[in-house]
Amino acid sequence: MKARTDRFGRTELPERQQRALQRAIRIEWATIGFLAVAITAVGLVMGGSQAMKAAWIEDLLSLAPPFAFLLAVRLVNKTPTKAYPYGFHRSVGVAHLVAGVALFAMGGFLIYDSVSGLVMAEHPPIGTVVIFGQQLWLGWLMMGVMALTIPLPIWFGKVKMQLAEELHDKVLYADADMNKADWMTAAGSIVGVAGIGLGLWWADSAAALFISASVLSDGVKNMKAAITDLMDTRATTFDEGEPHPDAAEIDEYLRGLPWVAQAGSRVRDQGHVFHVESFVVPRHGMHPTMQQLMDARDGCIDLDWKIQDIVIVPIDELPEEVGGPGASHQSERNR
Amino acid sequence: MRLALASAMVAAVALTGCGMQFPNDPEGTLERVRGDVLRVGATEHRPYVELDDVDEPTGSEPALVEKFAERLDADIAWTTGSEAELLHALEQGELDLVIGGFLHDTPWAERDSTTRPYVEEQTADGRTEKHVMIVPMGENAFLVELETFLHEETGA
Repeated sequence: MKARTDRFGRTELPERQQRALQRAIRIEWATIGFLAVAITAVGLVMGGSQAMKAAWIEDLLSLAPPFAFLLAVRLVNKTPTKAYPYGFHRSVGVAHLVAGVALFAMGGFLIYDSVSGLVMAEHPPIGTVVIFGQQLWLGWLMMGVMALTIPLPIWFGKVKMQLAEELHDKVLYADADMNKADWMTAAGSIVGVAGIGLGLWWADSAAALFISASVLSDGVKNMKAAITDLMDTRATTFDEGEPHPDAAEIDEYLRGLPWVAQAGSRVRDQGHVFHVESFVVPRHGMHPTMQQLMDARDGCIDLDWKIQDIVIVPIDELPEEVGGPGASHQSERNR
Repeated sequence: MRLALASAMVAAVALTGCGMQFPNDPEGTLERVRGDVLRVGATEHRPYVELDDVDEPTGSEPALVEKFAERLDADIAWTTGSEAELLHALEQGELDLVIGGFLHDTPWAERDSTTRPYVEEQTADGRTEKHVMIVPMGENAFLVELETFLHEETGA
């Protein structure tokens, strides 16, 4: 591997995160390779089964997050320019939104397709195939192929989940989450085909409906997460679970400085890295020197690799949204 | 997961052990036809189906169907008519099989089930035509039985 420094914009990654990033890139390529094989195999055997069709489309769609991730790490690697003064971090958010909308739309379409299959009482036909001169019911082949697609994604999902936390990457998190749930899709289509085998024509459409619902819920989850990030919601942990601890740590650090009376920060997640505006109220009668301000900034940057783009704003009173008294809204008025 | 697969296997073996078909027909076509009557629709398409004889269609496809009926120990009840009439009857459950020199890309495949092509033929202008028969949608035991017969008969 060529020696280079990986970065997210101007942020040079610490060694640990660099390794995680390289590993994430490798595993996303491996995912794409696996999906290419799985999509071809499932496409060849899917026949007349609605559940197989739904599973196939889901496989096809799960190509989107790996491609989005690989594209985003390329774009994000660029440093900010005059035209893009905040850098290219938001490309992660855009990729995330696109993947979410694609899943949502496809999930909706598949639900419609499966329900109409049930309502019209469509009886799925599955005939035979000849392999190496041997005739075989295609259903056995379908179940076999789907069973083969179960183990790898579970492992992919586990590894990606760890890397997503390390890199604070939400596209990777979404991808891992989908991979982890992927075995249910495969199991669902196996049940559907087995149902056809038993002469239960509705089992196939019912299994397809179950798979479609999982695609739709993936879509809703991802779209919601992408939209909230693009809305500059306060920074959260990689799994949207809770507010990111960095914000509190910055405030605590600043409050600990001898010249600071109060501190409060707005932290937005740009995808991987944070943009931070920290408002500080100096102690009564104290005026911070240039050196003190720069030291405060550097101290914050040292807290976490994700904090690099930080602005420190000395002010007389904290804005309400970062814990100040009422009636002062920084977002609406520059004091 | 493994438990589910294992129990599915056991169930499949148990069911086939009890003489149940796998795959099975939702409407029980194969079971009904066996030892009884196979209801076949034939529409003219020379040389596959010829309707010169008043009683029975002749040609390559009726010959195959007769052998298939023999295998099922069934008599054949022939119906003749246009494609649209016969396929409508098939969808209504009034026929079990329709022949008429159909090709694998027949538009009827949307609503009915075609067999795997049982023979491929070169046309004069160099195209390959893949011939199929049409059975009711999703009667998979019957479909598999017919395809197995055609496979043994024509090697397709």
